[in-house]
Amino acid sequence: MNKCVIPAAMAAALAGLMAGTASAADSITVGHLAAYTGPTSDVGKPYGQGIADAMNYINANGGIDGSQLSFETVDYSYNAPQAIATYKRWMASNPAPVAIQGWGTADTEALVKFVTNDEVFFMSASYSGHLTDPMGKSERTKAAAPYNFFYGPSYSDGCRGVVQWASEDWKAKGGEGKPKFVHMGDNHPYPNAPKEACAAYAEELGFEVLNPIVYSLKPGDFKAQCLSLKESGANYAYLANTSGSNISLVKSCATVGVDTQFISNVWGWDENAQAAAGDAGYGIAWVVGAAGWNSDAPGMETVRAVSRMSDPSGNEARVLHYMRAVCGVFFMHDAMLAAEKMDGGVTGTNIKAAMEQMTDHVPAGLEGVCLPSTWTPDDHRGTNQVLVYKSTPNGFENVYTATLERRPEWLGW
Amino acid sequence: MAGHATMRCGEFRTSYRADTTIFPTPMSRNFALGGVVLLVLAPLVLNAYYLNLLIQIGYYGIAALGLNILVGFTGQISLGHAAFFGFGAFASAWINNSFGIPVILSIPLAGVLTTAVGMIVGVPAGRIKGLYLAIATLASQFILEDFFARAEWFTGGSSGSLANSISLFGYSMSSDQSYFYVVLFFVVVMFLFGANLLRTRDGRAFVAVRDHYLSAEIMGINLTKYRILSFGISSFYAGIGGALYGHYLGFVSAEGFTILLSIQFLGMVIIGGLGSVMGALLGTTFMVLLPEVMTSLVGSVGDMLPGLSQGVAYIKQMAIGLAIILFLIFEPDGLAHRWKMVKAYWKLYPFSY
Repeated sequence: MNKCVIPAAMAAALAGLMAGTASAADSITVGHLAAYTGPTSDVGKPYGQGIADAMNYINANGGIDGSQLSFETVDYSYNAPQAIATYKRWMASNPAPVAIQGWGTADTEALVKFVTNDEVFFMSASYSGHLTDPMGKSERTKAAAPYNFFYGPSYSDGCRGVVQWASEDWKAKGGEGKPKFVHMGDNHPYPNAPKEACAAYAEELGFEVLNPIVYSLKPGDFKAQCLSLKESGANYAYLANTSGSNISLVKSCATVGVDTQFISNVWGWDENAQAAAGDAGYGIAWVVGAAGWNSDAPGMETVRAVSRMSDPSGNEARVLHYMRAVCGVFFMHDAMLAAEKMDGGVTGTNIKAAMEQMTDHVPAGLEGVCLPSTWTPDDHRGTNQVLVYKSTPNGFENVYTATLERRPEWLGW
Repeated sequence: MAGHATMRCGEFRTSYRADTTIFPTPMSRNFALGGVVLLVLAPLVLNAYYLNLLIQIGYYGIAALGLNILVGFTGQISLGHAAFFGFGAFASAWINNSFGIPVILSIPLAGVLTTAVGMIVGVPAGRIKGLYLAIATLASQFILEDFFARAEWFTGGSSGSLANSISLFGYSMSSDQSYFYVVLFFVVVMFLFGANLLRTRDGRAFVAVRDHYLSAEIMGINLTKYRILSFGISSFYAGIGGALYGHYLGFVSAEGFTILLSIQFLGMVIIGGLGSVMGALLGTTFMVLLPEVMTSLVGSVGDMLPGLSQGVAYIKQMAIGLAIILFLIFEPDGLAHRWKMVKAYWKLYPFSY
């Protein structure tokens, strides 16, 4: 320990780096954590683009009652520690964000306590059931998550919805005996989130639940896992990873000759995945949380205008996740508008309070695109409607809509 | 040399004692003390961003010094350092959460636990060398990573575990300003301990093992003992560094301690200078600041050429890689060596040697 770095010299070398976003008095600071790189970048890119476009669109159209959203996008590569470091940097900056549009399950769950202490409104792209319990009533939640929100059915409810469809599908096919169900995913908070809840519901519906099979979030050769799947004789396999690794999996399984019916979650399949997987992808059934790009819902006008923020030509077809991102931002936008009329203006606490007053709310201009959502101070399950789509050679078809009960014991699970 | 503030132009030491002082001259000692005093004042003038960088340099620097003791002084290559770093982080959170032992005590205890784990890994490692050792330590990296993902009772499994912030006498040290002092304290203690270790009989034995194991053995140095000891001490440093990191972030998850971080630690000690205590700190500083400097450089280039702004992230990564490669080509002995050369230049001026 001979000489130490002299901070002043360092400061000089790095001067101006932390200028940050210049903030006018009439701007609202929002943080945006995105995963443009890393194992979930396949779905992280379109979603993150949707968030950025929607916020830019809001700014271009008068902001929040005249206040601009000042936001910084940080690509954290799906690495939870990096997300937390970014969060700490944001909170130390002036002005600190009042709201954050986040991404993954690991980082969102790790930040629950932080955002609760700092009273920051946090909308994640993680739909983990653990985030639906604002009061910490459930025995299954580690910590109450009063400031956490997400748009769409939780992973657990989504999985329950597709399992419901699978149960109907089994009857329609005239299946004999107990159908076999298996959960497949990486050993990571996100694929694990619905594991137990969904298995319990599958048993309730008369499935035989087999031992889970692990396959990586990073795309690779999954023939070994497919052989295990084939040997297990599972009728329905729930894929809990994102589309990138699911493409590899369905292709590997097609090679091995698996005839299991694949079901998946909201991140598990999209237009890009179908294009990459080809014939191997047809037949998969999964959860969809908003209208598709080619939908003729009235709200798609707004979505197309949002899309032109980064694609002025308007030629780019956006995948499913883009629409959900737009919905998420517009719910936040409506809550901010309401918060501005409250005492104290647009603070994290007021945005939260405004969100919790929404009942069957659809943001103005997005009719038919976003699912009507309801949040209350003791229940953050925004919607219990699960749209199940199936991929066919003629495109994506809505084959089933499950409306799940709001069982109290399912809160936070 | 005693009492002389100026640097003389030759070797005038007449005793071993004078030859093994921690600081070669009073001036260098005063500089180091001055540096610490400046750092003590740092939180008063620096904002949270710079403090965050200094804190990172602190906990990575402690771990890098541990690796330097193992690789640079004992000549034992290790590709599993990040796993020990992670073990320290998990252990400290676990001790604090499960037994209610205050964080300030759980950090050194985590270091002790990590030492035990490191010694277990060191047992087979004490009997193999070179590539075989590299693969053995790589295996320990993967074994521990898998352990982190599965041992729910210890790490919280794939969800990770929360680490409480330090509080002393009822005063919470969760802000960067206060945590900086905690890290600074550990850095000073650990670096003094490291510098002193290498002046002891055991430290000299490490160097002997590195320089020629056969000669060392003939001199009566127990190779296996010293190799295992080196693994233990190195893990102790990694554990302390990891524990500081865990309590700083407030959350520990298995994904932060991959082989990439192990390689980054190796990068730190190679760039800083193998077999140099100061080099560990210099290399860490380089590795922590390089991405930040690159971000600002590339950011300003991106502002000038708007077309580049999409590729900024990739340019930054490539630039970091390039900087490291150029460094290894043009400065193979590390920053510590360059520093010595700079000092020698002034010492010998106007002659070249």
